[in-house]
Amino acid sequence: MQSEPKLGSSSHPPNIEFKVALLIIVMVLLMLGSLVYVMYARGVFESTQRVVLIADDSEGVIVGMDLTFSGFPIGRVQRVELSDEGKARIIIEVAREDAKWLRTSSVFTMERSMVGSTHLHVYSGVLADPPLPDGAVRAVLIGNAAAEIPQLVNTVHRLVENLQNMTKPDSSLNMSLNNLQTVTHNLTGPYGVLGVALGSDAHAKKVISTLDESKAAMIQVNTILGEVRTSLKGVDAVLVEAQAVGANARMATTDLAALREQVEMNLRKVDHLVDEVNRKWPLARDTELKLP
Amino acid sequence: MLQQSLLHSGFNYIGRACVRSSFSWWGMIHFGAVALVLALTPSTYDRCRRAAITRNIYASTWQVLFWFTVLCALISLVLIRIVVVTASSYGLSQYALEMVVRVLVLELIPLGAALFVVLRSGVLTSTSSAEASLHIEHVPRIVAIAFSVATLAAVSSAVALVLAYLVVYGLSPWGLAEYTHMIGRVFDPVVTLTFVLKTVWFSLAVALIPIASVLQAQKEAVRESNSAPQGTVRLFLVLALIEGLSLSARYI
Repeated sequence: MQSEPKLGSSSHPPNIEFKVALLIIVMVLLMLGSLVYVMYARGVFESTQRVVLIADDSEGVIVGMDLTFSGFPIGRVQRVELSDEGKARIIIEVAREDAKWLRTSSVFTMERSMVGSTHLHVYSGVLADPPLPDGAVRAVLIGNAAAEIPQLVNTVHRLVENLQNMTKPDSSLNMSLNNLQTVTHNLTGPYGVLGVALGSDAHAKKVISTLDESKAAMIQVNTILGEVRTSLKGVDAVLVEAQAVGANARMATTDLAALREQVEMNLRKVDHLVDEVNRKWPLARDTELKLP
Repeated sequence: MLQQSLLHSGFNYIGRACVRSSFSWWGMIHFGAVALVLALTPSTYDRCRRAAITRNIYASTWQVLFWFTVLCALISLVLIRIVVVTASSYGLSQYALEMVVRVLVLELIPLGAALFVVLRSGVLTSTSSAEASLHIEHVPRIVAIAFSVATLAAVSSAVALVLAYLVVYGLSPWGLAEYTHMIGRVFDPVVTLTFVLKTVWFSLAVALIPIASVLQAQKEAVRESNSAPQGTVRLFLVLALIEGLSLSARYI
């Protein structure tokens, strides 16, 4: 069995110097590789351009956070400082190869959510616009979900207050419910819906007695209507006779037309006769009377 | 009168303990400083001592590197899987990788490597003698142990990073850009410097404190059986202090 060299022991395993040299070389390469990889990951070797975002406050913005476009990180916050106007200046380095997504019409937003960190986004609606120049200064639009919490709490507070008012013993809702209970109780009473509709059983009783009287009156009316019906039968007979008279009159009117024709014919004959007399009568030619 | 006497003796005891502890810590710091100066002296690496350093590095690093890396990879795989699946179930998958890197690579692996080397090296119960030359016997061992902690931590961290990528993206190369971006976001200058410094301090603590404790105990003619627990306590105290300082520098 191969004996393991104890620390500080003088045993000498084979190729020990080669193995240790290999170990040291691997370690050095690993350290250098890690360093270069981290530098590459930090964007040390890539060319960048600068964008300055102006915000009312820099809460949640930290150095190193991403600027994303369509969900892809294209830039990184390099510095956050306070401007002379008292606003936050967020200086972002964007890789040159990704700077094509930044246009003069691009909109920068900062979203603060209730859970998670703040996010910086850029939206470029018109990619045909001119590219954003290096060092451009843009205002950032802030969307803050947490800022709506006080308003939400205030609204909820008012809502709870209203609920408390509604559920008080002397609240209108409670009174309405009591009234509703009274109504349902009355509905199950001897006069039912009628009692509820009229307000009390006494009124309902009056209405029912009135209805009874109306019923008796209706019987009397029916009797009267029977008598009227009999009278109307007599009137019907009179009308039948009147219809017969009318028919006779219509026939007489028909004969009257023939008679009129005969009269007209006789009149034409008389007229003709008068004309004939006038023609045969000599004095009739000189119709003008001359005075001396 | 009796109470005053008891109080007086109590204060005396505490005062003596404080002074003794201060001297002890100072002796340890002094030993560490001397050992570091010797380790950085070119004459330490002559042919004779280079052989001793080589033997110590072989024993403390080469022989354990593979198994420690395999063990660390298995534990890392389980932790990565748990974090990724849990984060995905809560809709926070975008934070899973970052959390894995921050917790596993930056915190657990360096600490695990330091503790593993402490247990593996067995220096706490070694039979180092105060008479042995610091320059000849102890410095090669200190260099080897410090190198071991740094190497185990670096290799295991690299393996954990590769595993994290494979667990999340599989063998697809299309997640490499996003993964690299995340690495760049996590390893900002402060975090990177803190990580490197923490690993270096872990290495020095693991290499120096146990040997210093043993030597100090032998010098003070204290029974050797007491020196190991004292050294262990001091080592764990220093490791916890370094970890706390690194966390403070990073997150506070």
